Amino acid sequence: MKALGTIYMALAALVLALPIVVVCGAALNSGRSMFFPPQDPTLARFGEFFVSEPVWTNALWNSVIVAVGAATLAVLLAWPIAYLLWSTGTKLSKTLAGLGSLPFAVPPIVFGVGLGFFWGFTGGLGDIWAGVISHAILLMALPLVTISIGLQSIDRSHLDAAATMGATEQVAFQTVVLPQTVPYTISGFFFVLVLSFNEFIVIFFVSASSYATVTLQIFNSLRNGYTPTMAVAAITFLVVSVLVFSAVARWGDLPRLMGADQSRK
Amino acid sequence: MTVAEDISADPAEPAHRRARVWPVRRMLLATLTTGIVILCVVPFLLVFAISFGRKIDGAAWVWDFTLENYQRFFVGILWPEEVTFLYLQQLGYSFYFAVIASLLAVATALPFTLLLTRLKRSAQAIWLVFIMSSLSLSEVFIVMGWDILLSNNSGLPKLFKETGLTQWLKDVGWFQQLRDWGLANPRNVKFKTSDFATILTMSYLVWPYAVILLYPALSRLDPSLNEAARTMGAGRWTVTRTVTLPSIRLPLFGTTLLLFVFLLGTYVSVTVFAAPNKHTTAVAIYANIRGANLNAPFGATQAIMLLLSASVCLYLGHLFNKRADAR
Repeated sequence: MKALGTIYMALAALVLALPIVVVCGAALNSGRSMFFPPQDPTLARFGEFFVSEPVWTNALWNSVIVAVGAATLAVLLAWPIAYLLWSTGTKLSKTLAGLGSLPFAVPPIVFGVGLGFFWGFTGGLGDIWAGVISHAILLMALPLVTISIGLQSIDRSHLDAAATMGATEQVAFQTVVLPQTVPYTISGFFFVLVLSFNEFIVIFFVSASSYATVTLQIFNSLRNGYTPTMAVAAITFLVVSVLVFSAVARWGDLPRLMGADQSRK
Repeated sequence: MTVAEDISADPAEPAHRRARVWPVRRMLLATLTTGIVILCVVPFLLVFAISFGRKIDGAAWVWDFTLENYQRFFVGILWPEEVTFLYLQQLGYSFYFAVIASLLAVATALPFTLLLTRLKRSAQAIWLVFIMSSLSLSEVFIVMGWDILLSNNSGLPKLFKETGLTQWLKDVGWFQQLRDWGLANPRNVKFKTSDFATILTMSYLVWPYAVILLYPALSRLDPSLNEAARTMGAGRWTVTRTVTLPSIRLPLFGTTLLLFVFLLGTYVSVTVFAAPNKHTTAVAIYANIRGANLNAPFGATQAIMLLLSASVCLYLGHLFNKRADAR
């Protein structure tokens, strides 16, 4: 029975990894077309992706701008809302948290369509800053959740202790609240970073074909036929994701963030 | 200093500070609220408003209040002379793919997650990193990977042919069955375009989400319940059926529902893997708003109908949960 379980998990891992492995293998092709297993393996595609082909280097640069910008903005927006929700619990803070999570909860294509219209009227359609804001709003729900989990983990008696010893709210915030929530804030930041990097449909609508991120560029290339350079992009993204989540698991508590039971180790 | 003095001094001080801090706080709060309302709500209102707009032939569209787009969605533009259910059918395919793919994902993710929660905490963290990484992987990459795997020249069909599996299938007569299902052409098996490929990819897309959503509920399962049932002589399957499954019924249902709603809007998998006559509402929305049709109001109408279907499903799920809770 135990062996059966192990086999099932291994099988699941295999299927989960299969398309990823295939994409990675395809990146080693030397020719212009995709083959698996790769023919005449070479690393030249990596050079094309990172250095020599402007289509891809531009796309990579755009992706980085959008992801980093969106992650920063999302955390900045989510912090006050999560803090309000935790410290006051007013109706307003609940409404704000609900509205902030709304875009993440509906089918993304609908929000993409809406943002397409919105930026069309406000003049941001096709500008990269509009892409940054769009992603920040779409993914704000993630830092909202992680920061809330972090705030809830603060022992209220520490705050009482701080207040008893004469700390003002500001001092208590800086010395008690902030340090204890830093790992959760960083986790939230990284979740947005990775998801924004990989997001497709919303940026598809708000970019209006005037700039391309890597996912958009790949989708465009899907129609014109594959090139192995696309696969390099996939590998890059995968490596970034693994690194980021490993960092979260190493310095944060990934099982806790995912809602595991705390009492059992 | 007496205690009484201390107490009387205390409330005065914060009041003084509050007077200084509040305007700044209020302004911040007001800005935040305005920003959130504008960015999170206005886009949806725009979609709603534009869904009543009118397209001008050979040009863009104008604001209006016409129900034409909705009429077109349900019975076609030429109604009552001519009725077409094309757009309802597209919505039907959205449901069809999403339902099967979400059920498949949850059914396969459940045993996996159950096994995962029984591992050591450190092993769990490693698995979670792997799963989160594949979860964050863009739909575009996933479709690309499966496309290579399923395409006729490089993927599984080639493998089938080279290993003689195709010939074997022909020999035992199952090949005809595959052809009937649309999974083969006269020469070899083919997976593009097919429902099978679409559902497989969509289900793969949400599989990590299924694990992540089931994980909290399953990791909180009380192992002593299982042990008690085992002690009383229940077999492993009996325990699963009578103890484990009933206690996670609600998260199981909730997860399936969320994945289903998420999959309703899938775009890339459907455009690449589904046969053109089975394209969904999401594909039609794109075609109207940014693609060849250029009929933004009708695209908006379809988006509203998609949103409405999703909301109705979520609401029904909520009702179901409440009833189950009350019982």
